[in-house]
Amino acid sequence: MAYKRQFYPGTTVPAVNRRRYLDPSQNLKKLREVAMDDVVRILGHRQPGEEYKSIHPPLEEANEPDCPIRQLVTPLEGAKKGDRVRYVQFTDSVYFAPISPYQRAWMYLSRYRGIDTGTLSGRQIIEMRERDLEVIAKEFIENETFDPALTGIRGATVHGHACRLDENGLMFDAWQRYEWDAKKGEVVYVKDQVALPLDKRISVGKPDSMENLKKRTTIFRADGVDMRDDKEVTMYGLRIHKLRTLAGFQPFAMKGE
Amino acid sequence: MAKEKLFMDACKKKFKEDPTDTHTKFYCYGGWKQSARKREFVEAANKIAKQRGIPMMNQDIGVPLGQRSWMPYQLSHTDIFVEPDDLHCVNNAAMQQCWDDIRRTVLVGLDSPHQTIERRLGKEVTPETINHYLETVNHTMPGGAVVQEHMAEINPALAYDSYVKVFSGNDELIDEIDDCYVIDINKLFPAAQAEQLKKAIGNTIMQAVRVPTIVGRLMDGGTVSRHSAMQISMAFISAYKLAAGEAAIADFAYSAKHQSINMGTMMPARRARGPNEPGGIPFGVLADCAQSDRVYPDDPGRAALEAVALGAVVFDQIYLGGYMSGGVGFTQYSTAAYTDNILEDYTYFAIDHIKDKYGGLCQLDPNNFDKLIQLGYEVNSYALEMYERYPAAMEAHFGGSQRATVAAAASGIAGSMATGVADCGVNLWYLSMLQQKERTGRLGFYGYDLQDQCGSANSLAYRSDEGLPMELRGPNYPNYAMNVGHLSGYTGIPKAAHVARGDAFTVNPLIRVAFADPALVFDFANVTKEFGRGGLREFKPAGERTAIIME
Repeated sequence: MAYKRQFYPGTTVPAVNRRRYLDPSQNLKKLREVAMDDVVRILGHRQPGEEYKSIHPPLEEANEPDCPIRQLVTPLEGAKKGDRVRYVQFTDSVYFAPISPYQRAWMYLSRYRGIDTGTLSGRQIIEMRERDLEVIAKEFIENETFDPALTGIRGATVHGHACRLDENGLMFDAWQRYEWDAKKGEVVYVKDQVALPLDKRISVGKPDSMENLKKRTTIFRADGVDMRDDKEVTMYGLRIHKLRTLAGFQPFAMKGE
Repeated sequence: MAKEKLFMDACKKKFKEDPTDTHTKFYCYGGWKQSARKREFVEAANKIAKQRGIPMMNQDIGVPLGQRSWMPYQLSHTDIFVEPDDLHCVNNAAMQQCWDDIRRTVLVGLDSPHQTIERRLGKEVTPETINHYLETVNHTMPGGAVVQEHMAEINPALAYDSYVKVFSGNDELIDEIDDCYVIDINKLFPAAQAEQLKKAIGNTIMQAVRVPTIVGRLMDGGTVSRHSAMQISMAFISAYKLAAGEAAIADFAYSAKHQSINMGTMMPARRARGPNEPGGIPFGVLADCAQSDRVYPDDPGRAALEAVALGAVVFDQIYLGGYMSGGVGFTQYSTAAYTDNILEDYTYFAIDHIKDKYGGLCQLDPNNFDKLIQLGYEVNSYALEMYERYPAAMEAHFGGSQRATVAAAASGIAGSMATGVADCGVNLWYLSMLQQKERTGRLGFYGYDLQDQCGSANSLAYRSDEGLPMELRGPNYPNYAMNVGHLSGYTGIPKAAHVARGDAFTVNPLIRVAFADPALVFDFANVTKEFGRGGLREFKPAGERTAIIME
């Protein structure tokens, strides 16, 4: 029987969402539109319209050696052109953000190639060739993994994921890169990833209700879905720990486990 | 009625909202000006910049501090609140003295030199000669001269903290020694602990040498045994009227330098650190320095938590945050383990839970792995649930690494106390890490996670390149060498196992007794209180230079 790829165990809402985010055959829902030039502005790596900076000549001019790996791997567009590697980094609030850092890492690695990810408690960075990065950044600002109030786009001074929310329900940001537009009920970016002021205000749309966010999230919480209520996820974690422990202690005891 | 959470007082003092509120206000508190300590710093920096003509600390540079309500920190199981700056080890004299007192302690046996004197030199060793020697060595150790008549000495006001005391498991022998030179096991320890310690120590007579704090600071940890050996040798020459050049003196010096017990073991060259530095202290040794269970023998939770606090400062703040990382260090990160009674709450929950569901301390069979991990899962889930139910606690530990350490420490302490086996404790530490990552979708920082996700496999392994009993692991254990934030919990885990068993010591009875000494500058039975006194600027450290500085 051919192996059928599995993505995540469990039956509860966070488990099902994790499975869906990780499965590359599942299309992520697009919830908003942000112009590519505005994404470029928020990223802050180049001005809209500015040429991409390169770190090596285009591959077709580079006289690459004959190599089986090069024959196997089709380079990304940015790699072909010699783009530098730049980043986008999202911060995800503990208060039912649609996704959290580990699920981001697993999702990116499951869906894309040519990326380097780093996972921390509040934030998750993706590094990639610049023109390819911009495409992915736009996708992930527009899709269902992003909530304007509970997801931040931050290069530095990223903490705030575990702070309480402000009076408008927005995640704390010491640099105040975004503001609440009370008239429109939208979140507006006024600074780029590293908190340099933008020359225009960029709306990233309306936050979702907490009721809906609890249906969208990948986070288990006692005031939402507690992981203890998902027997399969619980068992899976305990089993991993048990097998790893035995493997390092008495590998023979793993027989039959 | 549900028990009041132990962290409630701290949360209420930190924030004006109820600890269960999920919302607050930001950006409206006046920035750094809401902090008395920051205002003091700004005033001082401005004055210094003006005097020296070079800019200094400037709160307008970098991220604007104080965008949230500025949180005070309660030293756990005390009533002391301080600002975070007060818990930076460079700003806290008690923290510095804590490490100074450990570094400047070296244990040197008297049995070997006594044998040399009696068997090789044919001189008699009696209680009278030992008392005379101790009087002499308490002159030489702080920096007094005994052999040459035209000799520079150390100003006693700089070295008032330096002395030598002795202890032994032989009560009859100790009765013959002048009280002022004795660390009295019978008086300092509860009877049951004293009996264990005396049995373990036996007839050996051991010196607890305290080299002046200022010597350890001016030179390094490796100097301590050398300073001690030199002054001990001089004291023998004088007390027993020996020839300064005779070969036996070399034996005294050799044994005092190389057969003594430093607190820090040697680290490999790649750490670029000398001997007797904090990275070489095994967790079990630091656990023996922590003395809470001597003074509060009926409170094993406090004993484990005090060991955690000691580990946080010596290992996480001073060693990894200072020695190895450098810069401004890891204060904010490490303080989570010993402030605001959050780990306190989780630990006492675990103890109650063990008593209610697992038959009491040390009643869980360490071979019953399924039951062990069930306990870990329950304690870890409780800890994480508290962060989720009490957003004030979550915000107090606003870094994921803080929460990961605290939840894992509670789980590890639980495993230790339930089984009496520290390795079971560290196994639950790793269970906690895996389960927290699964539950919340996040954990700590990159390097942190790397080590915690492979730790299950080495937690019970005894193969030399993969494992070690938890008591003997330390900051230099391969996987822990950059494990900031972990080392606090790691210190508490072996302590928890041994206090649960009713053991009088974790790995070394000699070290345990040496740090019971009330003449030490830092009180190792009240670790968090001492750090709090340091934060309040009430702690008086040794090693000050004012005696040699003109006003």
